Amino acid sequence: MTQILSTLLSHYRRHPGQLAMLLLGLWVASALWSGIQAINATARDSYARADALFDTQLDQLERRDGAPLTLTDYHALRQSGLPVSPMLEGEVVTQDGTRLTLIGIDPLTLSSNNALSQTDSSASLTDFLAPPWQTRAAPDTLAALGLERADAPGATPLLADGNRLPPLVLSPPLPPNTLIMDIAAAARILSSGDKVTRIVTAPDTLTEAPDGLMLTRATSLATPGQLTESFHLNLTALGLLAWIVGLFIVQAALGLALEQRLGMLRTLRVLGVSGRGLILALSLELILLGIIGALAGIASGVWLARVLLPDVAATLGSLYGAGVGQELNLPWHYWTGGLAVSLGGLLLASSGVLWRAARLNMLQLGQMQAWRSGYRRQLMLMGIAGALALITALTLYGWLRFHPPGEGLVAGFGLIAALLLASALWLPLLLALVLKGLTTLTRRRPLIHWAFADMQLQLPKLSLAMMALLIALATNLGVGSMVGGFRLTFLDWLDQRLVAPLYLNAPAEQYADIDAWLAERDDVSERLLTRRSNATLQSVDSAKGSRTLGGPVELYGITPGESLTPHWPLLATQQGRSSAWAAFDEGSAFVNEQLATAENLSTGDRLTLSAPGINETLTIAAIYPDYGNPSGQILMASPQLAARFDAPPSSMGLVLSDNADVEALRTALNERFDLGRDALTDQAEIKRIATEIFERTFTITRALNVLTLAVAALALLASLLAQARTRRQQLAPLWALGVPRSQLAWLNLAQLGGAALVTGLLAIPLGIAITWGLVAIINVAAFGWRLPLYLFPGEITVTLAMAMAVAVALLAAAIPALRFWRASPRALLAEETHQ
Amino acid sequence: MLKLDQIHKTYMTPQGPLRVLENVSLTLAPGQSLALMGESGSGKSTLLHLAAGLDLPDQGHIALAGQNLASLAEPARAKLRREQLGLVFQQFHLVPSLSVIDNLRLQARLAKREDADWSAHLIERLGLEGLEKRYPEQLSGGQQQRLAIGRALALRPALLLADEPTGNLDETTADEVLELLLSLVHETQCALLIVTHSLQVAAPLDRCLRLRHGRLLDAAL
Amino acid sequence: MSIRPIFIIFVALMLHGCGEENTAPTNSAGFAGLGQDADGFQHAESNSSLTFPADHSAHPDYRIEWWYLTANLEDESGEPLGLQWTLFRQALMAPSGRPEPTPWAADQLWMAHMALSQDEQHHVAERFGRSHSQALLTTPNDSQAGVIASPFHAWLDDWQLKANDEADNRNFDNLTLTAYSGEDASRFGYTLELTAEGPLVLHGDGGFSQKAANGQGSMYYSQPFWHIEGDVTLNGETKTVSGRGWLDREWSSQLLDARQSGWDWFSIHFDDGHKLMAFQLRGGGDDSDNSGSEPGADYRSGTLITPEGRATPLVNNDITLTPLASSAVAGREVPTQWRLEIPSVEIDINIEAPHANRWMTTSVPYWEGEVGVNDRASGEPLGEGYLEMTGY
Repeated sequence: MTQILSTLLSHYRRHPGQLAMLLLGLWVASALWSGIQAINATARDSYARADALFDTQLDQLERRDGAPLTLTDYHALRQSGLPVSPMLEGEVVTQDGTRLTLIGIDPLTLSSNNALSQTDSSASLTDFLAPPWQTRAAPDTLAALGLERADAPGATPLLADGNRLPPLVLSPPLPPNTLIMDIAAAARILSSGDKVTRIVTAPDTLTEAPDGLMLTRATSLATPGQLTESFHLNLTALGLLAWIVGLFIVQAALGLALEQRLGMLRTLRVLGVSGRGLILALSLELILLGIIGALAGIASGVWLARVLLPDVAATLGSLYGAGVGQELNLPWHYWTGGLAVSLGGLLLASSGVLWRAARLNMLQLGQMQAWRSGYRRQLMLMGIAGALALITALTLYGWLRFHPPGEGLVAGFGLIAALLLASALWLPLLLALVLKGLTTLTRRRPLIHWAFADMQLQLPKLSLAMMALLIALATNLGVGSMVGGFRLTFLDWLDQRLVAPLYLNAPAEQYADIDAWLAERDDVSERLLTRRSNATLQSVDSAKGSRTLGGPVELYGITPGESLTPHWPLLATQQGRSSAWAAFDEGSAFVNEQLATAENLSTGDRLTLSAPGINETLTIAAIYPDYGNPSGQILMASPQLAARFDAPPSSMGLVLSDNADVEALRTALNERFDLGRDALTDQAEIKRIATEIFERTFTITRALNVLTLAVAALALLASLLAQARTRRQQLAPLWALGVPRSQLAWLNLAQLGGAALVTGLLAIPLGIAITWGLVAIINVAAFGWRLPLYLFPGEITVTLAMAMAVAVALLAAAIPALRFWRASPRALLAEETHQ
Repeated sequence: MLKLDQIHKTYMTPQGPLRVLENVSLTLAPGQSLALMGESGSGKSTLLHLAAGLDLPDQGHIALAGQNLASLAEPARAKLRREQLGLVFQQFHLVPSLSVIDNLRLQARLAKREDADWSAHLIERLGLEGLEKRYPEQLSGGQQQRLAIGRALALRPALLLADEPTGNLDETTADEVLELLLSLVHETQCALLIVTHSLQVAAPLDRCLRLRHGRLLDAAL
Repeated sequence: MSIRPIFIIFVALMLHGCGEENTAPTNSAGFAGLGQDADGFQHAESNSSLTFPADHSAHPDYRIEWWYLTANLEDESGEPLGLQWTLFRQALMAPSGRPEPTPWAADQLWMAHMALSQDEQHHVAERFGRSHSQALLTTPNDSQAGVIASPFHAWLDDWQLKANDEADNRNFDNLTLTAYSGEDASRFGYTLELTAEGPLVLHGDGGFSQKAANGQGSMYYSQPFWHIEGDVTLNGETKTVSGRGWLDREWSSQLLDARQSGWDWFSIHFDDGHKLMAFQLRGGGDDSDNSGSEPGADYRSGTLITPEGRATPLVNNDITLTPLASSAVAGREVPTQWRLEIPSVEIDINIEAPHANRWMTTSVPYWEGEVGVNDRASGEPLGEGYLEMTGY
């Protein structure tokens, strides 16, 4: 066996390029895949740690009027026998500018089965409670503090504001970028005086909220893990795509390596090696190469993840408020899983090659005799497979039409994948037909005729790379239009929602006074007070019957004034906009699109909502778009929300009269109410922040897209490199017949450029189909909102994509062409035709 | 038609410089035929490549159809080759992507000198009737070489250069092909230079020169 | 009463730690670290004198302190019932190291235990709290836990022992105790009226109670004459109870000799109106006194109190304590039957715990439960009381 294996491997000694290409394919496939898996694994670990912490495990008490709770309130609650614990939460800025969450707790009253009790790293309670106190932080928070792990214990890092943190104690179970310390130490650093952020209690210890307080159950707070699931599914899909594209390279390389070794395999068979032994040897070779490629891939994947992680963390942080560590945290199954996926892919890509090797005919000595009919058969098989993929896509589409959109995430990805696969499989067939037609049409132009005929010959070798290019390009176009469309829709929607030029944030108890004061002023023409609260959506009564739900929802109150209602976008109403707003004024509710999608709600349905001590029934008057909100939301008129759910004010939009002086108003407000500079926010500022968040959201998508495209380009380059030698032999006779080398080089470039261009053109409709799939299926299922399908015909996107396609192919073609240019003519003609 | 004057050619090999041709001179008049004989590695193929303008000598002059090859740029040499020369190789060097008929007409078309009657005549003479739509790899070795000869003669070249045209064929086929080649050359009235190591091939030609270790053994004309 | 479990130090070290040290109570700092050095704290000395009501309040310059009530009660149907309520204070640092009294900053750690026992039932609960000794206390809202001297008020959350509002609330003779824990069917707790039927009793030398042969000790006084009436909730049901109670007040900065590993403490109500407090610290006795004894011999002390409240201090050699039988409780052997001999006052009694399962499953575990007292010779019942055993 060793002898057979070494004979087989000797091929690569003579053709190191093929070995390199094979490994390259394995490498990129497993690198991108494992990179994304590393990001997912790290993020999930962070969520798990955050879930185990306070917020999601504890019920919370806040004052109904929104004013902060104080030490005295806390003592009063304790003395009334309630098992509550105070918690301070704030943000501190490290010297490198990172924002960390600082949580101050009272370990004496925090329920003992909480994460903190497991947080202890042999330090004593006294050290935690008494000066100089302690800062507990997970090891992956150290980087933000500018510390190495070895120096961390006992260090007292300096913050940007000049405060020092208490001595550090490492506590791995804590979520990243979170500092935990005694509430006394936290109160000093945050200068919070006797105020607490919230008062918490173990779940379900209170049956109802004490007077004047609002109780939020732990169960009604969605955990970051749930919110971000769809984000990770998107990432995984992209990783899978990259993996498939990488496997195309592997398949091409293996096919070539086998083809060139057919003679060797026959010789070995003739020399008495059994067919089974040969397959075994080939499989061993594959596994050997697979392990090398996969290990290299996983190593690079980890590197890639490390590079992308800050962006991922930023996105998840800004979009879902989920903290993700900046340091990779990989469980053991990540490594074995990565290896298994890479080897599995290799096996998949090599199954065809092994099958062919197994059916090797010992006596058939002709080499490419049957390639034409063989390729025709292959094209036919691909055509049939493509048709099957298309049927799958259509079936999935049919299924999706009859199911609620919220369930369609996996099916939606399946549909897109089937569509991509069908197109990829049909691409060589299509190219072959086009080339055949063009060859016939150009009979009179010998060189062009030759060029097309020659392309037909090259097609079997190039088609895989072209398929990879098609998939990568189409995905790029699809994602590009989706992102572009989203930005347009989102900005438009922001404009509609943010009607007031100024937004005021004040302590909740001050709103009544501020409202009265502003009412007296000429420069403010309208005051749009908003309120917020939370509730559990218990059940829905619709024409189709009654259902029990039980999920958490946000309640949001707006003031439906004359400046707001005409612009507020609505997707569906029962009887037109005006009647919807009239019903809204009288206590009907609007629900956001994501809630309607997730719970399959329509206008006219009646919702039963409960909050501690409250039970209310509301009719849905309209559905409105609410982009960027990960949770379901119910919109009510502010006064209604106040009356029925006792919701505290949360902000106030100020519509100014024409001659209003913003600065004067700002100053007057501050003088009168002592609100601070940040209390008034400019509309433009809000827009800027919102836009920034969404720009970040798509950074990773775009980065991965570009990488996928680069992989496809690599696939193309690799297949060209692999057949450069054969190409030179095919070009040499023409040169001998008197076609100048420069002309041949240009023809060669034109051939590949043309093929890439055709592929690029085909990618456009496919890209549009993918955009549609993303916008109409994936987004709806993942985020709950459906975007209008925006295309940018003839615009930068398409041009750019085509330019890219051409450029990629030209670049890819340039290298073998140059080699032809430099090679000695004698060598060209002397090279043996059959390898 | 062809004049080689004191040609020197050396190739760089990993083992050091290899002197392939040394002071070779020869002349071939229009319509004349010449056999160049020698062992493997005697430099005869190199001489043919130089004559075809596929390569340039280190020293000496080569004149083809009255033009000094050394003074021509690559595109001009290609043009000269395209329009004046027919080339037949031991390995056939057919274009695999083109059908039999397209291969046959390729060079004539490139030179914009296609003559449909002549092509048809050649197909007939070469015994390739009915095989026009086939592809080179679907032909036998003899058929392939006959096609290569047809391709070279389709444009009625002034000079046909053949490099071991029968070297890859069995004896019977080789005889047939050689006979056909000579007969067609005669019909075309072009000059002929055949590089071979076979006396049988060389015998019917007007003249015969021997090459050993890069030098002509017989006195050059 | 002598050495009560000031578990707080131990809690401070162990609350969130593993159980490793639990299995080694005989470490060099004595049980629960109570024998460790107390540099920077004020020390109890024999010439210290007590002033009331000021001394009912906390003494933050001493490291440890407690307000400790036990009661032997019976319900309407005459079934006996025992209860315990304790408020412990522990200074987190010596007075010189105290943080500034910013909000939440603490220099005192508080712990409260409650227990309610009847038949085989034994319910235990525990709470923790914090305070700053420099915070001004006028109402309980000013701190999570604390003690105000007059009108008396000791609390941790809603567990409170305070002067009875209806009686003369300047006086320490009428108190109310409230503490509840658990929900619904598992709820237990009590609301009790405490009426003193005798004076406060100072132990040892005018309130200084020596705890080791080398002279270290604590300030220690008791109110053993409580008559108690009130309501007790057990398994969610409320019953009316009445009986006798004993309140101990003690503070110190170093309670144990470093060699002492635990103690056995008895408080007894004799039916004839006498009260007896006796304890032994295992290890730490004076070697020279008892030439025949091992190094680290036991140290014993006590007080016999007449029905009028006159106290007779009892010293080491007066008292002999002999365990007669032990029971397996919570995985260890605990003596639940004792012979107590005090020849100087003609006492020779058997003390027996009718229920061995009075194990306190608190952060620092110990045994605390009701006992019955019989005459050694005749077997005649003489009274009842409470027994506390630590370090087993």
